[in-house]
Amino acid sequence: MGNKIVSVEGIARRFPGLTVFQDVWFGVERGEFVCLVGHSGCGKTTILNILAGLDEPSGGVVLVDGREITGPSLDRAVIFQGHALMPWLTAEQNVAFAVSCRNPSWPKHRVGDAAREALSRVGLTSAADRKPSQLSGGMKQRVGIARALSVAPKLLLMDEPFSALDALTRGSLQEEVSRLVTDAGQTAFMITHDVDEAILLADRILLMTNGPEARVAEVVHNHLPRPRTRADLHHMAGYHPLRDHIMDFLITRSRSLAGAAPADYDARNPPAVHLGG
Amino acid sequence: MARLFDRSLSVDVCACGVSHGQGFACAEEAPRDGTGELGQAVNEAAIRAVFPQAATRRAMLTTFGAGTLLAAIEGFLPLQNAREAMAQATGAPEKRDLKIGFIPITCATPIIMADPMGFYRRHGLNVEVIRTAGWAVIRDRSIAREFDAAHMLAPMPVAMSLGVGVAAPIPWAVAAVENINGQAITLANKHRDKRNPADWRGFRFAVPFDFSIHNYLLRAYVAEAGIDPDRDIQIRSVPPPEMVANLRADNIDGFLGPDPFNQRAVFDGVGFIHLLTKELWDGHPCCAFAVPRSMIQETPNTFAALLRAIVEATVHSNAQANRREVAAAISGPNYLNQPLTVVEQVLTGTFADGLGQVRRVPDRIGFDPFPWHSMAIWILTQMRRWGQLTREVDYRAVAEQTFLALDAGRAMRELGIPVPDTTMRSVTILGKTFDPTQPEAYLASQTIRRN
Amino acid sequence: MNTQVSAWRAALLSLTILALFLGAWEIAVIPPAATGPALDPEYAALLGQAAAQGQQTPIPPPSAIAVRLVELLSDPFHQRGTNDQGIGIQIAWSLWRVMAGFLLAAAVAIPLGFVIGMSPLLNAALNPFIQVLRPVSPLAWMPLALYTIQDSSISSIFVIFICSVWPMLLNTAFGVASVRREWLNVARTLEAGRWRTAMRVILPAAAPTILTGMRISIGIAWLVIVAAEMLVGGTGIGYWVWNQWNNLSIADIVIAILMIGLVGLALDRLLGLIASAVAWQE
Repeated sequence: MGNKIVSVEGIARRFPGLTVFQDVWFGVERGEFVCLVGHSGCGKTTILNILAGLDEPSGGVVLVDGREITGPSLDRAVIFQGHALMPWLTAEQNVAFAVSCRNPSWPKHRVGDAAREALSRVGLTSAADRKPSQLSGGMKQRVGIARALSVAPKLLLMDEPFSALDALTRGSLQEEVSRLVTDAGQTAFMITHDVDEAILLADRILLMTNGPEARVAEVVHNHLPRPRTRADLHHMAGYHPLRDHIMDFLITRSRSLAGAAPADYDARNPPAVHLGG
Repeated sequence: MARLFDRSLSVDVCACGVSHGQGFACAEEAPRDGTGELGQAVNEAAIRAVFPQAATRRAMLTTFGAGTLLAAIEGFLPLQNAREAMAQATGAPEKRDLKIGFIPITCATPIIMADPMGFYRRHGLNVEVIRTAGWAVIRDRSIAREFDAAHMLAPMPVAMSLGVGVAAPIPWAVAAVENINGQAITLANKHRDKRNPADWRGFRFAVPFDFSIHNYLLRAYVAEAGIDPDRDIQIRSVPPPEMVANLRADNIDGFLGPDPFNQRAVFDGVGFIHLLTKELWDGHPCCAFAVPRSMIQETPNTFAALLRAIVEATVHSNAQANRREVAAAISGPNYLNQPLTVVEQVLTGTFADGLGQVRRVPDRIGFDPFPWHSMAIWILTQMRRWGQLTREVDYRAVAEQTFLALDAGRAMRELGIPVPDTTMRSVTILGKTFDPTQPEAYLASQTIRRN
Repeated sequence: MNTQVSAWRAALLSLTILALFLGAWEIAVIPPAATGPALDPEYAALLGQAAAQGQQTPIPPPSAIAVRLVELLSDPFHQRGTNDQGIGIQIAWSLWRVMAGFLLAAAVAIPLGFVIGMSPLLNAALNPFIQVLRPVSPLAWMPLALYTIQDSSISSIFVIFICSVWPMLLNTAFGVASVRREWLNVARTLEAGRWRTAMRVILPAAAPTILTGMRISIGIAWLVIVAAEMLVGGTGIGYWVWNQWNNLSIADIVIAILMIGLVGLALDRLLGLIASAVAWQE
């Protein structure tokens, strides 16, 4: 508890006549990888935007390192679903833009070095001088990842980062991200609707019911051992029950549990399930 | 304008002691000794000198009137000599580099030829003559002081001073007439058999400008034949070169316009010359050398030198022996930009009439600088006749202030040119006598009119 | 199907069309045989060539125009008097005025468009004024300008300014307002700051749209200067056209039209080059 970087306390999102979600509580510990899983319309993108500071909640607060957030910050870097690279800049320049935002006083060559270093971490050194239109989808997303990591954020936020990619690229990128994040001890929060992705990457998976009036129905603790690779994952003991549990939720319970919470539901402490161990 | 008082004083009380509209000075302008505007400048300076305090001056003028005051002052100041000396104005010009706008028509011949033939230089002036796009532009650029003086249609300074057709009255004057006669009614070739104006119902005519002798002569001519120019025919303002093009395109049936475009229509096989305006009123004014009245007060030496140059150029152009030379000097691309033979036919008066005849009318166009007051009065009657001027005016006063006969006469005298001894004369216009001393009667005798 | 057009074939076709057009023109203006009774030789000498044969002076054939073109281009920078200057000098005058008016318009339109694009409130507030002023013809602005400014040269530049400012203004506002939300979000999450975001994200993103606006504007500016100079006169290619019109010299007018078109083309190409330098592809 004391190691929480992020504490989401009772956030809500309401529109006139519609409550997307309310009274959502959860935390992210230092070095933890948390996934939020749910169907479209449950507000998971909104929650991510609120965490990023791009959106404001209708109620509740988000604390980062004990301080309430008031807007976007370099401490909370975002990897967007569409890569959001600036097409008039090369890969290196895109990353350099972020580096110079983080370090405005650095001279040009230092910024360039840091950018190239970030690109090498995602294996794109050879593509540094290419413009986004000359890169494949996977490479573009890697640049996005490099850009986010180059500012050394406290929290890495990912908005379904691999959903726009083809299956093969997705797979290799997931592994890379897993490696990068766990190697560096980076705290990460990701939203997705891909179960396997969540199981591969996350330490804890939050399951959200369908909207409106969505809530965190369950917190699943993923005890599968690391390192996890795509090749070995489905061979691990405990994998299938974990997967089945989440699939059941997505297929059936996300809908059946939707709507008003049961009387014994404690928003601050949603039911926890430990699987995969 | 002969104002002695600052604009800060609200009442328009002038040297004459009578309040009057803007655009005009007092009724008692121009000293009777013939020294003209330049002489008047002396009168004003004298009154100012004797009564330097504006309030006192105004009180004195209101009580006694300018005439009385001047008579008193003349008792101890030799104003007559001063006026004479001022009107001589042989002092060095205050401003030597001048810009004069002109429209490229043969009416402006003296203004134009004074450049290549050296008349400006001879009087110590460095003049740039600038070809301008149209009458409205020449008026606007003159008002904006981009031009020091300009070639204008003779009625334009009258209209500007009266505040007709401009935003506010602004005092302008005809310092010298550029040309007399020199216009014609040209009709399209298809109207060869329609020589009687009574047959012109439904015709569309063009004139260069609303405030032009062309407009007034055309209207008077058709009115004599019983045609109402506002109801039975159409009259449009069209720039002269477009007149020929419009005739060719059958947009108009004819025009009363300046040369060389009448001759050009014949040259290009587009029309024929029906009538020279000389036959309507021999000696009618057409274009003028126009200056702002303020030029006379502000730069009297320049004004005098310029006027002498123009008058000399005008007289030189008038001499038949010089006409060919003048034509050659002004027809090039820097001036009229017309074929030499067209300009020659206009200036020498030996021309093709478009109907197969070679006619010889040596004074088809004339250059006579004297701005008769009677010319101005006729213009005023026509402005009243057609509703351009709706209020009553003092014909004589307006004429004296817009047609500077006395100053022009002075310049002519200095150059040894004979000067008429009056500024008013009766003339025969369209077969009827025009007596400038009876303008209202003349106006009343016109059957077709708007007022 | 081969959808790529061979440049040679297109050029060949263009030239053929031109040759056919010029040929037809040359033949069409040949005057018919002289009609009517023979004219007195003295009379005939006083008339133009066509009139002496009972015709109206025709439009000159392309051959005559070509001769005149060579004549004009052989001495394009002559100055034989205030009102007689070479066609090269006249074009230079017009270009100077266009540049002055256009650059002034850009200096006003682009920053203002930026501000409008970033503020929906300002956009809505200023839009009525823009929509009312935009369609006003230069010929209507000119008298107003002459009346207030009272200097014909500055008035021409003002008229160019007021007519060419709108496409740049509207395009800049539109370009700025349509910058992808994504990129703005990236800048926000990177705490880029307003100035940095404006200069490094919004401006490059909107640049192609802004350049399109500039391209349209330069075309309008060139169009306007010709009209303005015809009204006001003095120097410039528009004035030259009016002057040749005075002389009913159709060949010169056709040549002027050709020159005007070629210069307009050159200006557009120039801006096209700049546009491709700032273009980006997704």
